[in-house]
Amino acid sequence: MSRSRVVISLLAVLVAIVIQTTVLAPGRIQLLGVAPAFVTLVLIGVSLQVESEYLLLIGFTSGILMDLIGSGTLGLWAMTLTVIAYAAGRLRGRFTEGSGYVIGIVFGLTVFGQFLFVLLGTLFGQGTIAEPGVFSKILLPGVWNAFLALPVFWVLGKAYWSRQNEWAI
Amino acid sequence: MFSSSGRRIDRVTILFLFLVALGFIVATFDVRSSGGGVAAIMREGTQSMFTPFQKGVDFVTRPIVGFVDGVSNLAGLRDENDRLGARVRELEGKVQATEALEEQVTQLEAINGLEVPDELATVTARINASGPSAFDNVRYIDKGSEDGIVKGQAVVDEDGLIGRVDLVSANAARIRLITDPIVSVGIRVLSTNETGIVTGRGDGPLRLEMFRAEETVNEGDRVVTDGSRFPPGIAVGKIRTTADAEVGFVLRTDVNPAALLSQIDYVKVIVGWSPIDAGLVDDEISPASVTTSSSSTTVGN
Repeated sequence: MSRSRVVISLLAVLVAIVIQTTVLAPGRIQLLGVAPAFVTLVLIGVSLQVESEYLLLIGFTSGILMDLIGSGTLGLWAMTLTVIAYAAGRLRGRFTEGSGYVIGIVFGLTVFGQFLFVLLGTLFGQGTIAEPGVFSKILLPGVWNAFLALPVFWVLGKAYWSRQNEWAI
Repeated sequence: MFSSSGRRIDRVTILFLFLVALGFIVATFDVRSSGGGVAAIMREGTQSMFTPFQKGVDFVTRPIVGFVDGVSNLAGLRDENDRLGARVRELEGKVQATEALEEQVTQLEAINGLEVPDELATVTARINASGPSAFDNVRYIDKGSEDGIVKGQAVVDEDGLIGRVDLVSANAARIRLITDPIVSVGIRVLSTNETGIVTGRGDGPLRLEMFRAEETVNEGDRVVTDGSRFPPGIAVGKIRTTADAEVGFVLRTDVNPAALLSQIDYVKVIVGWSPIDAGLVDDEISPASVTTSSSSTTVGN
């Protein structure tokens, strides 16, 4: 396992968090009032590049960072993204079976992640499930992520490939 | 590289369960401490770490994002332009009527020896980031304690109340929007002059509760802050649905926020007004220290 892959993965989720909170913020680029779950998407993309243990740690770390920047209870995104990382690690073999599988898995995992966060938020007293428009906030990020999956995974793949070659030289 | 031996799978699963349990413990700890303590320090530190990057990305991408947004809304902008033109003509007529009323008010104040409060001091700030998910009702601004911003101050834009400051670092601050479920605002309905509380629901309209209402509130009635924790008279919204007051029962209805919370860009933080319990806030927190709260921001009536 190359340490450079872990470093690139961490950088990728940090960049994803910055993009999520700026470019994809409300009032900026959003379709139907909901943005893609970009951090979730990048985490799924990272699952193709690092081993499961590292993937879990990266998922937990990125989740804690999202919790710290967000307004909810600390630990909810950490649990959610750890579960997503675990599931993505288990399903990574399917990614080689074609673009349809990639899009389907990304959609499914994103929607599951959003739903899990709503469920945990409700269990911890945030009343998330009672919010107006909660279904669109669960489903639409999955749709946008499905559209973005292939280009984002391509960019991630290039980043890993180029850094690996650079360090090899 | 990715062996699927039984031993390896067990190790991954154990780590997974450990991390989920750790997340659960962290969440429980955070709920118990009401977002304060170590969590508050970590939140402030994390935000300080991300702020320079968020400002940089916001600066670089804002023109591009504005262009994309403009193109995508081109069709809607024409209709909006026509509608606003009609609205301007309507308001011009009202301004003339208001000027006459202002003159009357000035004369009455002079007669009664009343003093008009000075213009409230404000700090203009720009929104440069939001929370990381659709379920976060927070925005980050590019001004902080160095500009005189402290926890608890009201934040407004040209349409009305946006929220209040709930986390401050040197060069940035977090605003908790009035749509957040843990934010409540003491209000007064202008048509009846009765008071109540509006509470956020995460998105969309706010929930209004009036405990001693005797009069009906009608759709379109204006709702303003009552001066308990926010400066009095700031527009909060308009009644969404007519509701009757029943003696002995709570009047409940919805309020459409006055401010377009999904499209705020610039805001003003009111730094020149102290709420009734400002002393409590100031005693607890110095301007340069960590300032978070996950408790209700309201004062009841």
